[in-house]
Amino acid sequence: MMHISIGVSGAVLLAVVSAPVQAQTDYYNTDAGRPVLMEDAYALERRGFELQVAPLRLTRSRAGVYTWGVEPELAFGIFNRTQVEIGMPVAQVDQRAGGGLGISGVEISALHTLNVETSIPAFAIAADLLLPVGRFGPPRTYVSLKGIMTRTFPAFRVHVNAQYTLGSSVTNATGAPIGAAAQNIEVSRWVAGAAVDRALPLRSLLMTAELYARQPIVVGGSVELNTGAGVRYQLSPRWAMDAGVGRALSGDDHAWFLTGGGAYAFGLPWRAR
Amino acid sequence: MMRGILMRKALEKAMLMHAMLMRAMLMRGRRMGGAITRRVAPALLLAAAAQPLRAQWVTTFETFYLAAPHNWTFRNSYQSADRLFNAFDYGHAILYETLWRKPGAPAAELEVRIYDRLTKQVLVRPPSVPLEEVAIEPMYARLAPEAKAMFDWSHVLHRQIYDVLADERLDGAAKDAEVARLIAYYKTRPDLTFSSKPKSMELMQEQPYSLAFRQKYPKFNGLIWGYHWFQVGLYEPLLVGTTSEERQAGVRRTVARFWQMLTDVPRTLPHQMPMTAAIAPQFAARYPEAAIIFDNLHSMHDVVSDILTNPSVPRNRKRAEIIRAARMFRDDTSYVMPVAAWRVMSLEMGVENMGGPAVGFDVALPTPTVSYGAVMQHDRQTGRMTGMTVGTMTVDHAGMSHGTPATPAAVDHTGMNHGAPAAPSTAATVSAAVDHAGMDHGPPAPAAASVTASSIVLLQKRLLADSVIRRRVMADTSLRRMLLQQADGLGERERVELRTLLTPARP
Repeated sequence: MMHISIGVSGAVLLAVVSAPVQAQTDYYNTDAGRPVLMEDAYALERRGFELQVAPLRLTRSRAGVYTWGVEPELAFGIFNRTQVEIGMPVAQVDQRAGGGLGISGVEISALHTLNVETSIPAFAIAADLLLPVGRFGPPRTYVSLKGIMTRTFPAFRVHVNAQYTLGSSVTNATGAPIGAAAQNIEVSRWVAGAAVDRALPLRSLLMTAELYARQPIVVGGSVELNTGAGVRYQLSPRWAMDAGVGRALSGDDHAWFLTGGGAYAFGLPWRAR
Repeated sequence: MMRGILMRKALEKAMLMHAMLMRAMLMRGRRMGGAITRRVAPALLLAAAAQPLRAQWVTTFETFYLAAPHNWTFRNSYQSADRLFNAFDYGHAILYETLWRKPGAPAAELEVRIYDRLTKQVLVRPPSVPLEEVAIEPMYARLAPEAKAMFDWSHVLHRQIYDVLADERLDGAAKDAEVARLIAYYKTRPDLTFSSKPKSMELMQEQPYSLAFRQKYPKFNGLIWGYHWFQVGLYEPLLVGTTSEERQAGVRRTVARFWQMLTDVPRTLPHQMPMTAAIAPQFAARYPEAAIIFDNLHSMHDVVSDILTNPSVPRNRKRAEIIRAARMFRDDTSYVMPVAAWRVMSLEMGVENMGGPAVGFDVALPTPTVSYGAVMQHDRQTGRMTGMTVGTMTVDHAGMSHGTPATPAAVDHTGMNHGAPAAPSTAATVSAAVDHAGMDHGPPAPAAASVTASSIVLLQKRLLADSVIRRRVMADTSLRRMLLQQADGLGERERVELRTLLTPARP
C-alpha cells in the first residue's frame, strides 16, 4: 500500500507541483516544469498560442516505483501581458503501486506580467485552479497563488518563485485504495525557490538550474528540498524543445525525475476591421 | 575672474537662503509637532523617489506575428538570405550591448574584435533561427525595453513582408492586399509603431548627440548601413523578378552584392544611410508606407547608436533620450516631410553613396560621391539638398569616373555655396540644388565647343531612351545633376525635353 501511495502521489505531483505551466514560445522564456519548476515572469505573447505537444515526465521514487506522465497543455496570450492556460496531465503508474492509467486533474491557470524589467526587476502574479478530475486527480479543488520575479544580469538571469496553496491540509496519508489514495496528495502548501539560467544566444540554447523547497500539504509532512537542471533549445521558429533532470534532496521520497518535450507556437487569425 | 567671483557669491547666497528656508520649515515642523515632521519627511522622500521609479515601471509587451499561410515562406524558399537576417539580429544587439556596457572601451573593441567576429564567423555561419535579441543585449534591453520592443515589432513586419513577396501562390494583387493587411496589423500597436510619415534627416543627423557613432566607429557604422541596405534592398529582386526563377536569381545576386560590400571596408560600405526609395525604388513606389516605416526604423537604429556612443549624453540620461527619440519616431508630427520630398531627398542623397541599387547594378560597386558619413541638408518641403554641414563631395565633377574606386582625398569645395537654401521646386523639376558657380570644373573639352545644343539633346535622348542607361543615370545623382546643369544652358524646348527625361517616374 505504501507503493500505491507513492505512485499516486507521483501522479498528482505531476499535476500540481509542475502544474503552473506558463507556456511561452521560445527557448528564452521559461515555463514551469519545462524543464525546471521555477519560471520567468513573462507571459506568452498577446494573440499567441502555445501547445505543449508531448511533454513527458518520468518519476522514480526511492522505493523504485515509476510514474510516467504526459502533460498536454494549451496556453493563449489573451490580453496584454496576460496568458491563460489549460492542461490535463495524464499518468501511468507502476504496477507495484496499483498500476493504471488515469487523468491527474484538470488545471486552469492565468499569469499576468506586471512590468518589464528595467532597473526594477520584472514581476508577475499567477493563479492556478486544480480541479478534481480523473482517477489520479486531487480530492478537491485547490487554488494556488504565485508571485514571480525575474532579474537579469550580464551573464545570467535569476528567477525567484513563491507559491501558496489555499485549502485545508490533508491528514489521510496512506493505506487507501488508489482513488482515495489521492488523498496522499503532493499538493504543496507552499513552494519557494530560485532558478539561474544562462543563454547561448547564437545557438538559441538556454541552460538552467534550480533549487527550491516545498512543504507538502499533508499534515506533518516535512519540508523537501529539490533541485533540477535542464536545457531549452529553439529548434525552429515554431518549435522549442526542452529536457531536464531533477531530484528531491530531502523529504520522504527522494524521487528522481527526467523530463523532455516540445512546444509548438502558432497565432490567432486576424482580419482588419 | 571677477565674473567668477560674483557667480560664486551669488551661488553662496542662494545656498544660504535655501538653508535658512529649510531651517525655518523644520522649526515650524517642530512647533507643529515632531510627529508631523516624521510623517512628512518620509513622504517627501518617497515622492522624490517615486518619479524615477515611475519612469522605470514599464509595461510594454509582445504581440504574436500575424498568423497567415505565408508565414516563414521566405525562410523556406530563400534560406541563405534568411539566415543572414538572423546574423544581422546578432550584429544589432551586440552593438547596443557593447555600447551600453563598455562605454569606455577603445574603438577597436567594436571596430576590430566584434567586427571581425561578425564578418568572419557569424555572417559566414549564420544562425538557423531568428535570435532572441534580449539574450544578446540583456543590459540594453533593461535600459530601454520600449525602444527594443519598437525594433522587434518592426522587424516582424520586415520579415513578414519578405514572406508575402516570396510566396509564389500569391499573385500581385494578393500580395498587395497582404502587405496592406500586414501594415494594418503592425499599426494595431501604436505604442510600438514607427510613423508612416517620412521624417527629415535632421531627426537622425542634426540632434545634439548625432554623428558620434559614425565618427567613432566608421567601420561598424558602415556595416550597419550595409545590413540596412540588404534588409530593404532585398525586397527589390522579389518584386522585379517575374518568375520564381528570376526572383531566386535576383535574391542570389543581391546577397552576393552584400558580400561584395565587405571586401574593402569602409570604402566599399555605404557612405550614407541607405534610403529605401533610392535602393529599392520599385518597392518604395508600390509600398510607400512600408518603405517609410523602414527608413524611420533604420534612422532610429542610428539615433540609438549615437545616444549610446556620445559621452555628452550622461549615462543617467541615455534612457530618457532614447525614449524621447522613440516618441518622435512614432508621432506623425516631428520632423515630418511630404512623401514627394522624401523621394527627392532619397535620390539627392545619392544612391551611389548608399551602396547602389539592389538590382540592375554593375559588376563594380558604385563610387560614392561624398565623404564617408557626410551630412547633407535638405529642404523639408521639397527634399532638395540645400547644403552639406559635415563632409565633402569626393569626386572631381570635371572628370567624374564612376567606374573607379573613390580616391580618399576629398576635393576642396570651399568655393561651393552650400548655405543658401534652394528655391522651392517640385519633384518634376528637380535640378542641382548646389550652386556650383564657385567650382572649378576645368576647361571645357575641345570637342564640346563644336557640338550644337540640338545634337547634345539628340545624343542624350538616344542614350536615355535605353532603359538600362536611363536607370543607371537616374541612380547616379552626380551624373544626373551634371546633365541637368547642362540642360540649363539649352533653349527652352530642349531644356524641358531633357529635364523630362531626367525626372524620376512618379509611382
